[in-house]
Amino acid sequence: MQNSSRLALYHYWVAFAAFLPAVLLGAWQMLMRSPLPAPLDDSNAYYASVTLHGTDMAYVVTTFFAMGFGYAVTATSLGRPMRGVAAAWIGFAICLVGTVMAVVTILSGRATVLYTFYPPLLASAWYYLGVLLLFGGSMVWVALMIYNMAAWKRDNPCRPVPLAMFAITATALVWAWAASGTIIELLGVVIPQALGLTTQINVGLARTLFSVTLHAIVYFWLMPAYIAFYTLVPEAAGGRLYSDTMGRLSFIMLLVFSLPVGMHHLFADPEYGAGLKFLQSFLTFFVTLPTLLTVFSICASLEIAGRARGGRGLLGWIRVLPWQEPMVLAVALSLVMLGLGGFGGLINMSYAMNSMIHNTSWVTAHFHLIFGGAVVIMYFAVAYEMWPRITGRPLRSKSLACWQLWLWFWGILITTIPWHITGLMGQPRRVADFDYSDPFVASMGPLVIISVIGGAILLASAILLIFILARSHFGERRLEAPLRYALAVNPPKVVPASLNGFALWNTIVLVLMLFAYGYPIGQFFILKSNVPAYEVAGPPTVERER
Amino acid sequence: MARNQGSLKLNNPWPKIGWGLVAATMVVTVVLGFGVLSRYQQNAPSLDLWSAICRGLGISADTGPASESEPPLRTATRISWTSSTLDQIAAGDAQHGAFIAMNCTACHGQNGVSASTLIPTLAGMDAAVIYKQLDDYRSGKRLWGVMGAIAQALSAQDSADVAAHFSAQPDGLPQLTGRRVPEAGRSLRESDPAKRLVYAGDPRRGIPPCSACHGPGGYKLGAPALQGQQAAYIERQLGEFAQGIRQNDIFEQMRVIARQLTPEEMHALASFYGKDIGVPKPGSDAWR
Repeated sequence: MQNSSRLALYHYWVAFAAFLPAVLLGAWQMLMRSPLPAPLDDSNAYYASVTLHGTDMAYVVTTFFAMGFGYAVTATSLGRPMRGVAAAWIGFAICLVGTVMAVVTILSGRATVLYTFYPPLLASAWYYLGVLLLFGGSMVWVALMIYNMAAWKRDNPCRPVPLAMFAITATALVWAWAASGTIIELLGVVIPQALGLTTQINVGLARTLFSVTLHAIVYFWLMPAYIAFYTLVPEAAGGRLYSDTMGRLSFIMLLVFSLPVGMHHLFADPEYGAGLKFLQSFLTFFVTLPTLLTVFSICASLEIAGRARGGRGLLGWIRVLPWQEPMVLAVALSLVMLGLGGFGGLINMSYAMNSMIHNTSWVTAHFHLIFGGAVVIMYFAVAYEMWPRITGRPLRSKSLACWQLWLWFWGILITTIPWHITGLMGQPRRVADFDYSDPFVASMGPLVIISVIGGAILLASAILLIFILARSHFGERRLEAPLRYALAVNPPKVVPASLNGFALWNTIVLVLMLFAYGYPIGQFFILKSNVPAYEVAGPPTVERER
Repeated sequence: MARNQGSLKLNNPWPKIGWGLVAATMVVTVVLGFGVLSRYQQNAPSLDLWSAICRGLGISADTGPASESEPPLRTATRISWTSSTLDQIAAGDAQHGAFIAMNCTACHGQNGVSASTLIPTLAGMDAAVIYKQLDDYRSGKRLWGVMGAIAQALSAQDSADVAAHFSAQPDGLPQLTGRRVPEAGRSLRESDPAKRLVYAGDPRRGIPPCSACHGPGGYKLGAPALQGQQAAYIERQLGEFAQGIRQNDIFEQMRVIARQLTPEEMHALASFYGKDIGVPKPGSDAWR
C-alpha cells in the first residue's frame, strides 16, 4: 500500500458515486425526449436534469477520477511515496465542497443553465462559486503532479521520467491550461454579474473564454484512458509497449494540439470572422495525429503480446489475447468506439460540414461515443485494475466485470447510433419536448425509442459496476501483486531533455494560444457587446433590485 | 541518462523541429484563412487582399451606408430593458404612486382589483409591465383613448411610482416568484388543448408555451402574469394582437402567436388563465 492509496480510493468513490445518479438522469432524459410517457413529465425538470447530468459527468466524475488516478500513478510509477499528501486532502475537500454547492443549487432549480453556462442566462452565484471551487481545488492536484515530477527529476538526474508519470503530468498541464478559460470566465465575467456587481454581461467574451476550456477538457478526460492504453494494457495482455518514445510524443502532441482549437465549438457564433474560425478548424485537424499514433502503438503492443502467447498468422494473435482480462477487453471495445466517434468528430470540426450537424443530436452522439464510451469504459477498466491493489481485496468475478463492459459497449452503441441518424435528420439537442404528432418528427420516434433502450442498458451496466466495486470492497482480504506498468520493448535509457519535460512544449502552447485566441479575445475589449443577463428561475431583475 | 541540455535552446534538434513546425503551421493557416478563404465570396466579386484580411478577422469591409433608401423605422415601443430603465422602475415611489392611483379606481377597481371583465386587474402586476404599458399609451404605441389621455398627463417618474404602487397591492395577480408548478402532464402529450398550449405550446405552428413568459412557472421581463386576470380582457387582447390592432409587443411576439390561434383557442386560453368564465370541456362543441 502506497501512501496515496487511500487518497486515490476516496477520489474514485466520489467519482463513481456521482456517476450512477448521472446515468439515471441521462436515461430519464432519453425517456423525456421520446414518444413514450415519462415519469415527472416537466420540461423545466428536463433542463435542470441536463444541467445536473452535464455538470456531474463533465466536471465532477472526470475531475475526481483523474485526480485519484494521478495520485495512484505518482506513487506507483515513481516507486516512492507521494509528496504533499496533506495538500492533496485539502484539494479533495475543496473539490467536494464545490461539488455539493453546485449540485444543491441545481437541485433547487436556480441553476438551470446547462453545464456550459450559456450566458446571458444567469444562474445563482452559488452554482458558479461551486464550479469555481471544484476547478480551483483540482489546481492543487495539478501543482502536486508537477511538483512530484520535478522533485523526482531533481533526485534522479540521470534517469528518464517513467512514461506514466510523464503522461499524468501532461494531463495535469492540459487541465491547467484548459481550466484557465473557465476560471477567467467565471471570475471576470459571470460571477461579478451573478453577484450583481455588473449590470450587463459580455456574452461573446464569456463564450470565447469558455471555448478555451471546451475542447481541451475533452482531452483532459481522454488522457487517463490513454495512459491506461500505454502503461496498463500491454502489461495486462502479457506483452510489452511497442514504443516509449511514441507514447511521450503522443502526450506532448495532446498537450500542444488540444488547446488552441476550442473555437470549432463556436462555428455558428457571430462574433468572429471566418478567417479566425478557419484557423482553429485547421489546427483542430492536428489532434487526430496523437490519436492515430496511439491506436497504432496500442495495436502493435497487443500484437506483440499476442505473438508472445503463441498467436500465428496475420490475425491469429488477436484470438489468443487474454480476453477474460477486463483491461484487454476494455481496450478493444474502447478503440472501436474511439474509431466511430473519431470519424464523427472530423465532421464536427470541419468548418463547412459542421453546419449540417451543428447543435443537433449528432453532436451529443459524438461526445457520448468518445467520452461516454471510449473514455469511460477505460475508467471502468482502470477501476477494476486498481481496486484490488488499493483495497487489498481481489476483484470479485472478472467475468462479471467483462459482462459489465460488454453491456456498456452495446448500451453506448444502441444509444448513440440512432442519435447520429436523428441528428442528420435535424433533431436539435437539449430540447425537452418534441411534437410527435407532426409526421416529420414522428419519423424520428422509433429511433428515439431505440436510444431509450440503449439508455436502459447503460443504466443496468452502471448499477452492475457499482455492485462489482462494492462487492470487492467488502470481500475478504488477500495479498495482491503490486500494480506494474508495462515495459517498453526498448526501455528508455537516454531521452532528450525535450521528451523528459514540458518547458519547450508549454512555451509552444503559449505562443499558439496567443496566435489562436489573442485577437478573438482581445477584440471584446474594444467592441462593446454587453447585454443584460437573463436570470434563470429567479425573480425578475426588477423584483430583485427593489 | 536523460540528456540534460536546455530544452529551450534553439540549437538543439527538438526545439528546432518544434518551433519550425509551429511557424510553418501558422503561416499555412494564416495564408489559407485570411488570404484564400476570405477572398472569394458567393454571388459577389472576390475581395482584394486587405478587405479579405479584414473580413477574415470579422471586420466587415462594407460599413458605408446602403445606397437604397430604407422605409421609415417603425418600433413597437419606446421601452427597452436597459439598466437605466430598470433603475427608473426600481426607484418608483409607491407612496406617491398611491396618490396618483386614486385616478385609476373608477375603472380598475379599489386597489387595482378590477370588477369589470373587460378592464384588467392591476394589483400585483409586475411594475415593469405597468411602466411599459403606460409609456406605450403615452407615446401612442398602444391605442386606447382613455388611457392615452391619462398616460400623457403622467411623467416617466409618475409612471414608475404608480407602477410601484399597484405591483405591491395584494389580492390581485400572483407574485412573480418564478416558482415551479408541480403539475403532471406538462407536455405535448397533454390532452386538454388549452393546457397543452399553456405548458408546451405548439411547435408545428411556431407557438411557444404561454407559461414560459406569462406563468405559471416561468416569467420574462415585461410580460404580465396572467393567472387571475380578467378572462374577457385576455380574450380581447388576443383578438387585437391577431388583427394587428394592438402593436406594442416587442419583436411582434404576441402578434405572431395570436395570429396562429383560432377563436376557440383564444377563448379556451382566456378561460384557463382568467376567472368567471366556465372552462369548456375538451371535445365539447365549443372546442372542435
